[in-house]
Amino acid sequence: MSMSINMKIISVILAAILTGAAAFGEETKDQTLNIAFISYANPQQVAYDSEAILKYLEPRLGIPVKGFITLDYGSSIEAMRSDKADLAFVDPLAFMMAHEQIGAVPLLLEVYQNGPSYHASVWVRRDGSAAKLEDLKGKTIAYADQVDMSGHLLPRNVFNRAGLLRGNRPEGNFFKQVYFAGGDEQAIRAVLNGFVEAAGISQYAYLLLRPEERDLVMPIANSIESPSHLIMARKGLPEEVREKLKDALLALDWKKPEDKVILDKLYGVRGFSAASLSDFSEVAKIAARHGFVKNPDLFSE
Amino acid sequence: MILSLKTLRKYEIHSFRGRWLIQFFRVSAVLLIYSFQGGGPALAHIIPKENLHPVTEAYRRSVFVLNLNPIAWDVVHRDAKTIAGYRSSIGFGEKKALGENYDARAVFRELTRDVSAICLHHLSNAVALFEEPEQAIEEVKKAQAVWMAFSEFLQKTDPDGYFRLGQSWLGMANALGSRGLLGIGAVEADREGFNRAAKGVIDYLESNFGKNYEPPKNGKLAPFPVNSPTYKPKARFALRLPPGNNINKQIPRPRQILNMASRGVDESDTPLIAVGDMAFDSAFIYGEPMRSIGMSCNSCHNKSITNPNFFIPGLSQREGGMDVSNSFFAPHANNGHFDPIDIPDLRGIRFTAPYGRNGRFASLREFARNVIVNEFNGPEPEPVILDGLVAYMNEFDFLPNRYLEKDGRLANETTPEARLGEKLFNKPFSQMGGMSCASCHIPSANFVDHKRHDIGSIEGAGSTGKDGALDTPTLLGILWSPPYFHDGSQPTLRSVVNWFDQTYRLNLKTGEIENLTAYLETVGGGTDPYEDTPYYLDAEMEEFYFFISAYEFLAEKNLLNAIDITFQTIALEIRNHKWELQDLQYLPVMEKMADVMDEAHAANQSGNFEQVREKVAEYRALYAENKEVLK
Ligand code: HEC
Ligand code: HEC
Repeated sequence: MSMSINMKIISVILAAILTGAAAFGEETKDQTLNIAFISYANPQQVAYDSEAILKYLEPRLGIPVKGFITLDYGSSIEAMRSDKADLAFVDPLAFMMAHEQIGAVPLLLEVYQNGPSYHASVWVRRDGSAAKLEDLKGKTIAYADQVDMSGHLLPRNVFNRAGLLRGNRPEGNFFKQVYFAGGDEQAIRAVLNGFVEAAGISQYAYLLLRPEERDLVMPIANSIESPSHLIMARKGLPEEVREKLKDALLALDWKKPEDKVILDKLYGVRGFSAASLSDFSEVAKIAARHGFVKNPDLFSE
Repeated sequence: MILSLKTLRKYEIHSFRGRWLIQFFRVSAVLLIYSFQGGGPALAHIIPKENLHPVTEAYRRSVFVLNLNPIAWDVVHRDAKTIAGYRSSIGFGEKKALGENYDARAVFRELTRDVSAICLHHLSNAVALFEEPEQAIEEVKKAQAVWMAFSEFLQKTDPDGYFRLGQSWLGMANALGSRGLLGIGAVEADREGFNRAAKGVIDYLESNFGKNYEPPKNGKLAPFPVNSPTYKPKARFALRLPPGNNINKQIPRPRQILNMASRGVDESDTPLIAVGDMAFDSAFIYGEPMRSIGMSCNSCHNKSITNPNFFIPGLSQREGGMDVSNSFFAPHANNGHFDPIDIPDLRGIRFTAPYGRNGRFASLREFARNVIVNEFNGPEPEPVILDGLVAYMNEFDFLPNRYLEKDGRLANETTPEARLGEKLFNKPFSQMGGMSCASCHIPSANFVDHKRHDIGSIEGAGSTGKDGALDTPTLLGILWSPPYFHDGSQPTLRSVVNWFDQTYRLNLKTGEIENLTAYLETVGGGTDPYEDTPYYLDAEMEEFYFFISAYEFLAEKNLLNAIDITFQTIALEIRNHKWELQDLQYLPVMEKMADVMDEAHAANQSGNFEQVREKVAEYRALYAENKEVLK
């Protein structure tokens, strides 16, 4: 629908930011690798930062590499569906949906200090009354967003696994009220300010608080580990390009200062690790439970 | 980051319109309600700027400034303009600019009414636009971003109201539903729920800060919700620095040179210096609000070097300076004038008495006491703290400068320009009463003469009876600490030379100005003013270890209070610095070290000295074990 218009406008703006070139995405599919970067907060910054990786990749792939920014996963997936993006940075949920719907391929998982995985946590105020999950009965919780792996499905699963939540309603017979606050930061701040008793969001959400606020919240339970955010590739991207990409990105070493500069600008990852469909087998079941994935067997070993 | 940091709310999924995106670039501050700019864990001692709605930022700053004496009206004026501009941009019509006769209360009243009206405007838009969720959420976001102008004041003065309204905002976000992703997971919007939540906020604003809002007759100017049934008139709220402040340290890290290092003194033999180093880094030697804000000597004189970024709106005129006799930090010592002063560099301070720009203190000891007691509202410091501060400051050395001989003459390998400049510097000018630059900045005496002179650099001095005499500052190392003169009015060394040329009609030729500038740059230079790193943490940890080396010395003399301050300072500093860890997996080590200091503090207070000794040993062991990774 309005996607193409959107993409054009984004392209014009971002082409100007990224390369200074006038035309972007104009029928360059065969020769150019197009990467969709997701911006969570500050697209200008992401645009600026992404130059480092584009510069790194281009000589190693031997084809022009261009980037553009999207503000949500839906736009990245739509761009890939219409062959305007060859690679996209996505979270595991968006990836699984893209795989099921447009055949996107998992390429590389982002590596953070705990390796190529992360989890969600149930956060409370350190001086609050809840010390374990059971204490949240009859209380309120904030998630980040309905469509969010670590900001909804994973933490909700924590309560499922503990046998505290059943059925389809987010409240179940357990919570007084569930809020979808609109983002990790809104959710963690809702806990910090005492508007809700708990927040179910990423293990890293405390980093969104100001340094002096971070010690005021703490996690009381963690979800299962999920594969990290990842780089996925368009189904039709030639095998040869895919392999070159993998080699180039896997070679980045956080311990080397020149590589660290690139990685720090790339969402602060420490490196990459090869991804396979079976990495997603557990989280696919959780996503299927809420209807986001129809056929979790696509991801079984 | 791996976070699903959707600072952008759920409704924006699919709301990816060009118009909106362009808007995003222009007014991203409006959309990113609470987010901060930049900043992963790596440089976390850089407290990121709060990303506030322009109206919120302007209002909060105005509240801070309107409570100062004197009021920095230029700051208020700018902020009032921002708010008025926003008002008219949303169709409220023009507003009269602030008149000449400023009345703080009247200005505050108008600003409060305006901000409240802006918030209400966006909220009622949201209600009206409910059928267009994308637009409705934009309006909610703007309303909430403007609401933050008041919320920090309500947190303390009306905690129940603050809580209710917090839930209202969450309720609004919730009630707008979700569009899902690729057609899956959509949740329908709930109009009734939305209206209910919105009404809570609307009623609160109208009843407390409505069209007829009047500020309290006396006392602080702040938005108190006096008509809320849960208002707590007696509540006090913590003082915060206004938006736009910057008390972050400079990056890269400046190089501090301590005399003891070149003397080859073992740090464990220097407990007094350790006490001084600690006090220089401590917020616990002051009174409020300095203590709560957590500032120390280092905030302005970072390890003796001027912090060029330091800025507090209303108290600073330029970066790197502040009015040190102001009503915010020390009402009792306020002189009622706005007289901001450029922060002097303290390198080589032991050679440059007297102290203070106007040389009003003969000794460092008197000066340090004045800072603590008069400028920052502290209690009378213990002698050991002052002894320590003096011992520490006596260690501050000038940067080495290989272009200067011991007697201050240029060394051989300097440029011809600088050498010509040196001649001019030493040349007497009849226009300066037969003096040369070197008469006051005596090269063989570290470029000072220990005297006060009125060179005409204080604006309005003489005519208004203000004392125009200032202590001759050294020229060593000054290349690294622009701007120049007591008030920072000269941006470069060249402009200082121009100033002398014009003020004293020296009739210098262009080439001579170049040469004199080259000379000043050579004298003012020095080797490696900065460390080759943006990171502070390893150096800080080493320093905390040094602080605690004074423990035995203090314990022997039974100086329990100084021991308390040491433990508290280390614990607070570790907590402030721990986010700088490049590898956050070592966070628990730092937390443990801070906890050990808390325990040592508690034991010291309860007189359990055996335990204090154990805790100190434990701290030292933890540091020794983890030294390599705490960076
Ligand atoms: C808010 C910033 C700030 C803080 C905090 C601060 N200073 Fe200063 N310092 C200044 C300014 C501005 C001046 C110049 C003031 C004057 O001339 O009266 C100054 C001057 C000095 C001087 C005299 C320098 C000279 O060349 O004459 C010394 C010594 C000094 N400070 C030491 C300290 C010590 C010790 C502390 C902590 C106990 C401290 N300062 C805290 C801003 C600060
Ligand atoms: C009568 C004594 C005197 C003479 C002569 C004199 N100065 Fe100064 N100089 C001062 C004083 C006092 C200040 C401080 C002015 C202020 O802070 O407003 C100063 C400030 C400076 C500064 C700025 C230092 C800083 O850190 O802000 C420079 C550079 C300087 N002088 C260079 C010169 C040069 C070059 C000449 C000769 C053309 C000269 N001075 C002649 C007394 C003198």
